[in-house]
Amino acid sequence: MEEALLRISEVSKHFGGVYAVNGVSLDINHGGICGLVGPNGSGKTTLFNIILGLHQPDRGDIYFKEKRINNLAPHQIYELGIVNAFQIPRLFFNLSVLDNMLVAARGQQGDRLLNSLFLRKRWQEQEKGLIDEAMGILEVVELSHLAFSPAAELSGGQRRLLEVARGIMAKPTLLLLDEPAAGINPELANKIFQKLEEFSRNGIAFFIVEHRLEILFDFATWVYVMDKGRIVIAGHPRTIIDDPTFYSVYLGEG
Amino acid sequence: MGPLLYGLDVIVYIGIFGIVSLSLNLEFGFAGLANFGKVAFFLVGAYTYALLSQIGVPFYLCLIAGGLISAIFGLVVSLPALRLRADYLAIAVLAFGEILRLIVKSEYWLARGDWGIRVLPVFPWAGSHLAYRLENIGLVYFCLCICFLVVQLLANSPYGRAMRAIREDEVAAEALGKNRSKFKAQALMLGSAMAGVAGGLYAQYLQYVLPDVFMPMVTFTVWIMVLLGGPANNWGVLLGAALVEIFDRGTNIIKDYITLPVDPTNLQYILFGALIIFVLLYRPQGLLKESTIKTKALRSIFNGRSSAKNKRS
Repeated sequence: MEEALLRISEVSKHFGGVYAVNGVSLDINHGGICGLVGPNGSGKTTLFNIILGLHQPDRGDIYFKEKRINNLAPHQIYELGIVNAFQIPRLFFNLSVLDNMLVAARGQQGDRLLNSLFLRKRWQEQEKGLIDEAMGILEVVELSHLAFSPAAELSGGQRRLLEVARGIMAKPTLLLLDEPAAGINPELANKIFQKLEEFSRNGIAFFIVEHRLEILFDFATWVYVMDKGRIVIAGHPRTIIDDPTFYSVYLGEG
Repeated sequence: MGPLLYGLDVIVYIGIFGIVSLSLNLEFGFAGLANFGKVAFFLVGAYTYALLSQIGVPFYLCLIAGGLISAIFGLVVSLPALRLRADYLAIAVLAFGEILRLIVKSEYWLARGDWGIRVLPVFPWAGSHLAYRLENIGLVYFCLCICFLVVQLLANSPYGRAMRAIREDEVAAEALGKNRSKFKAQALMLGSAMAGVAGGLYAQYLQYVLPDVFMPMVTFTVWIMVLLGGPANNWGVLLGAALVEIFDRGTNIIKDYITLPVDPTNLQYILFGALIIFVLLYRPQGLLKESTIKTKALRSIFNGRSSAKNKRS
């Protein structure tokens, strides 16, 4: 059997007396789009933050490519290839759209102090390539005409797009997306997911929280349903849709 | 001859404080660190210079040592301070500056306390006041050019981009792989080194160091330069340094010629305070706005785009 890309094993996290995440175990495989759904407050974002190293779990372990990553700092987890796009876009508002993209590139030669001063040739070459990549991704999310505008000038929907685009710019192995389709018109949302599917064929695995199930279920290859800090169902979207528990979780006790 | 000498004196001051305001621009303008203890690193540089020059170390080594020791102080301060939120960092370094000043003031063995110490001039052959000032202008502006080049190159590199990202949103920057503690510590070290060199130049020019020269007001003056000129714009902060120095020195002259009902020194402080409030209210971005990141590759595609646009129209 193929080893999982990300393995979460018995992870718990509580805030005060409330368990936000309570003994969650799950696997995410290489490539493919994996969905995480559940009502508000079911612990999805907390689980994301634990994976990203923003929260320390109280119990349990997280393995990425068989390596335990519990105690790594967020920037180290990022360098391993686990990248996140925030639910509420956290852009660098005074920087241009293109600069926002370029910040995210992994393995940059020029973001070390001495390299930036003394190895200018090296990173300038690299940056040419990165700009081409960034413009290509911006083209896809229809932001390329705004590349030189400050991110502060983007509309709400455009900010979300840039947040997702920034994640893709990092060429992650695993990209966590927290509600990428919220606040975006259905046509564009569909298009984004088509693009994500394309990227997933190129080897990026996606782990996506999304409330717009009609879109997510068209594209996801596996879905975990979370409720009150626990995984209650897991499976292919088609089987989940037929599961009565799924409806009771989403529509309240029926 | 008087006005000329005075003008040259102002030019030397603009150069020295230009370096300090560039260093604060690196820390605050680009990396977002509210360093309210700038004078501490200025003091370290000045005293290092003075003490070393007394035992016969050549002046360029004194300057370099001033920068290095100041950088070490910067690192030491950064270790606990970087865990603090921006406003607490400001208070911590402000206190650090006062502590250093009080140490040199009360520890007589170190640098003769309140009496201060003499610094031998670098250019003993300088016969006249005119030559002395001109030589200092050469030395100070040589250092200024190096500092300007360094900050300018950093600001327009991926490193500068990461620093600005940390300034904008440090959590997001950390989540995008930027080790914020490392970046902040480096910014503080480099900024302190530059302030240390400026302190050395200052000691050398005044030929004297006294604890009371290093009051917190020096820090605030540098802040006015940066806020007025435009944070994250290196030309802006130099402009700010020039304007504030001209204002400062100019009012120093004027107060000898006019009689005022209040103490003119206090009036100067009041005017400075009013200036800060005025700038923050009506021109929060400063006289020159933040310079965008211009790496070679970015500039070439930006130019390509705007020329394409011009052709179309």
